[in-house]
Amino acid sequence: MLTINDLKASIEGKSILNGINLSIKPGEVHAIMGPNGAGKSTLSSVLAGRADYEVTGGKVDFMGKDLLELSPEDRAREGLFLAFQYPVEIPGVSSTNFLKTAINEKRKYHGLEPMEATDFLKFMRSKMEEMEMDKSLTSRSLNEGFSGGEKKRNEVFQMAMLEPKLCIMDETDSGLDIDALRLVSAGVNKLRDGERSFLVITHYQRLLDYIVPDFVHVLYKGRIVKSGDASLAKELEVKGYDWIKQEVEAAV
Amino acid sequence: MSFIEQIQADFDAYAAQAEKDSFYDIRANAYAHFQKNGIPTLKHEEWKYTNLRKIAEGNFAPSCLSTLDAKSLLDLGLLNKIKSNKIVFVNGCYREDLTEWIETDASLVMANIASARKTHQEVFMQHFGKYAQTEKEGLNALNTALLSDGAFIYVPEGKSLTYPILLTNISDATTEAVLQQPRNLIVLEKNSSATIIENYLSVGNQASFTNVVNEIFVDENGNLEHYKVQRAKGETYHNNYTQVYQNGHTNINQVTLTLDGLWVRNNLHFYMNGLNCNSLLYGLYITDGNSFVDNHSRVDHAKPNGFSDEKYKGILMDKSTAVFNGKIMVHADAQKTNAYQRNQNILLSNDATVNTKPQLEIFADDVKCTHGATIGQLDEEPMFYLRSRGISETEAKKLLLNAFADDIAVKIKIPELVQILEEEIARKL
Repeated sequence: MLTINDLKASIEGKSILNGINLSIKPGEVHAIMGPNGAGKSTLSSVLAGRADYEVTGGKVDFMGKDLLELSPEDRAREGLFLAFQYPVEIPGVSSTNFLKTAINEKRKYHGLEPMEATDFLKFMRSKMEEMEMDKSLTSRSLNEGFSGGEKKRNEVFQMAMLEPKLCIMDETDSGLDIDALRLVSAGVNKLRDGERSFLVITHYQRLLDYIVPDFVHVLYKGRIVKSGDASLAKELEVKGYDWIKQEVEAAV
Repeated sequence: MSFIEQIQADFDAYAAQAEKDSFYDIRANAYAHFQKNGIPTLKHEEWKYTNLRKIAEGNFAPSCLSTLDAKSLLDLGLLNKIKSNKIVFVNGCYREDLTEWIETDASLVMANIASARKTHQEVFMQHFGKYAQTEKEGLNALNTALLSDGAFIYVPEGKSLTYPILLTNISDATTEAVLQQPRNLIVLEKNSSATIIENYLSVGNQASFTNVVNEIFVDENGNLEHYKVQRAKGETYHNNYTQVYQNGHTNINQVTLTLDGLWVRNNLHFYMNGLNCNSLLYGLYITDGNSFVDNHSRVDHAKPNGFSDEKYKGILMDKSTAVFNGKIMVHADAQKTNAYQRNQNILLSNDATVNTKPQLEIFADDVKCTHGATIGQLDEEPMFYLRSRGISETEAKKLLLNAFADDIAVKIKIPELVQILEEEIARKL
C-alpha cells in the first residue's frame, strides 16, 4: 500500500530525514517510535504534504501513485489520513459542514455525485453512534473549545467518516489521560478491518498497549535504525532509547 | 461643463422655480455651505485616505431618462423575494409603478419625499435637515441642496411595521455618466419599530456618482433594524452619509454590507441622546480589483448608561484598498457607558492595502471602552488542516472566509441577506 524509498527531507536547510525506507501492506499496523527530535513528526508531515518541508530525495509510492507529486487534498482523496498531534480549532466552521464538504470533495474527485443532505446526515448519525460521539458535536464549530481528549476523538471520528485506506497517527497519545487514551484507542481498533493500514507515531509505548502493532520501527537521526515486532516496544519501555543510540554510534 | 459648473447650473435652475418656503431655506443654506467648502480634498482630516478627485473632475449629471426594465432586473434578485414593502428609485427618480405596499395599518407611511413633504408637511419639516449637518460636510451640503428624491418612512407612536421595507436605488449609467442624490428620512416615534433594507444596484458601463444622505430619528423605546447592502458594480462612486439620532431606551441594529463598487464611502453617525441607548454597528466589506471602500463611523455617547458595539470586518483581494475610521465619543455626561469597537481585516493578496484607525475620545470617568484593529492573512494551519481532509484550496478558503464573516452574519436577521453574503464570498474567490 505504501512504499517509502530512501526518503530525505529538510526544513530551512536543515536535514531531518536522512533516508527512510518503509513498506506497509494492507491491514498492517506499523508503529514508529523514537526519541525527541528523531524526525517522527517530520515524517508524518512530509507524507501528508505540509509545505514547510522540502523533500530532498527518495520516493513514496501510495497504491501505485507517486505520493509526493500529489497536493495535500489529493493525497487525502486517494485515501491518506493524518490524525494531527494538535488538531486545529476553526471557529465558525461547523463540524457538519466541514465533513460534508470533505466527503463531497472526495466523491467529486472519484467521479461520484455529491451525497444528498439527508443521506449525509443519516451516514453521519450512524458513524456517531458507532464511534460513541456526543450528539452536541454536530452543532459545534470544528474543535472549538474541545478538550485535548475530545479533539483526538474527533480526529478518529473524522477517520471513520472519511474511510481512508492509510491512517497516520501523529503522537495521538500526547496530552491524553489514561481514560481518554482508552477511548481513542477503542475508536481506532473499531476501524481496523484487515484492509485499512495504520502508521502510529509515538514517543511512548503505552499507546501500543491498546493499539497493538504488527511492526515496530525505531527512528533515530532521520533513519529507521531498528525494526521488530510489538515486543520491541516493550523493550524500549524498559530500557529507554539510550542503548539504541549507543548501538548506532558504535556502528558508525 | 465641469461638475462644479453643472452643480451651479442645477441649483440656479432649482432656485428659479422653487417656492421660497422653509424647505427651500434649508436647501439654499446648504448650498451656501457647499459653495464655501466644496468637495472635500485629502487635506481634510476625515478624507485623508479617501480621494474624491475622480468625482470632482467627473462629468456627472442628474437624469430621469432611464429606459431600464427595472422590474425584470429586480425580479432576478433574491432580496426582492422577501415578503416586504418595496419602494424603488432609478437614478434618484421615484418609480411609483414599482412600489409595493402590503401593510394594512393606514397610519404607517412609506412615500417619496417629493410628495410626502406636502402630504406630511408637519412631521417632515420637523425632522428634515435637522440631523445631517451641512456646515462642515461638503457632500451632505450638496445632497441637501440638490437632492433627487428619496423615501420618507414614518412609523407613528406605538406602531410597528409588520414587514421590512426594501428601499432600492438603481443607478442606470447605460448612456451617460449619472449623478443621483437619494435623500431618505426615517422617523420612528415612541414605542415603534421597523426593519429597513437599503439596497444599491447599478447597470451600464458609464460612471455614476451616488451621493446619499439618510436622516434617521428614533424616539424613546423605538426599535430599528437597518441594513445597507451595496452591490452597485462597474464604475460606481458611492458616498453614503447616515445620521442616526436616538432618544432614550432605543435599540438600533445597523449592518452595512459593502459587496461591490469601485469607490465606496460609508459615513455612519450615531447620536445617543437619551438614557440606556443601545446601538449596534456591524459591517462587512469584500473588495477586489482596484476598488476602494472606506467605512467612517462616529458614535456619540451623550447621555449615561449607553451601550454601543461596533465590529467591522474586511476581506481584501487584488489591488483593493480599505479604510476604517471609527470614533467613539463619550461626552462628559455619559457616565456608565459601555462602548466596544473592533476592525478586523484579512488580506488575500500582497497588493491590497488597509488603513485603519480606531479612536476613543472619553470625557466621562466611569466608562468601559475597548477598541482594536487587526490586519492579517488567512492562517496556514487551518488551511492545511482542511486540505489534509481532502478539501481543495478554494473550498477551504471559502469555509474559512465564511467563518471569518460569521460574526457579522449572525447579526443579520434576514436569511436572504446572509445567503447573498455567502454567494458574494464564493463568487469573488
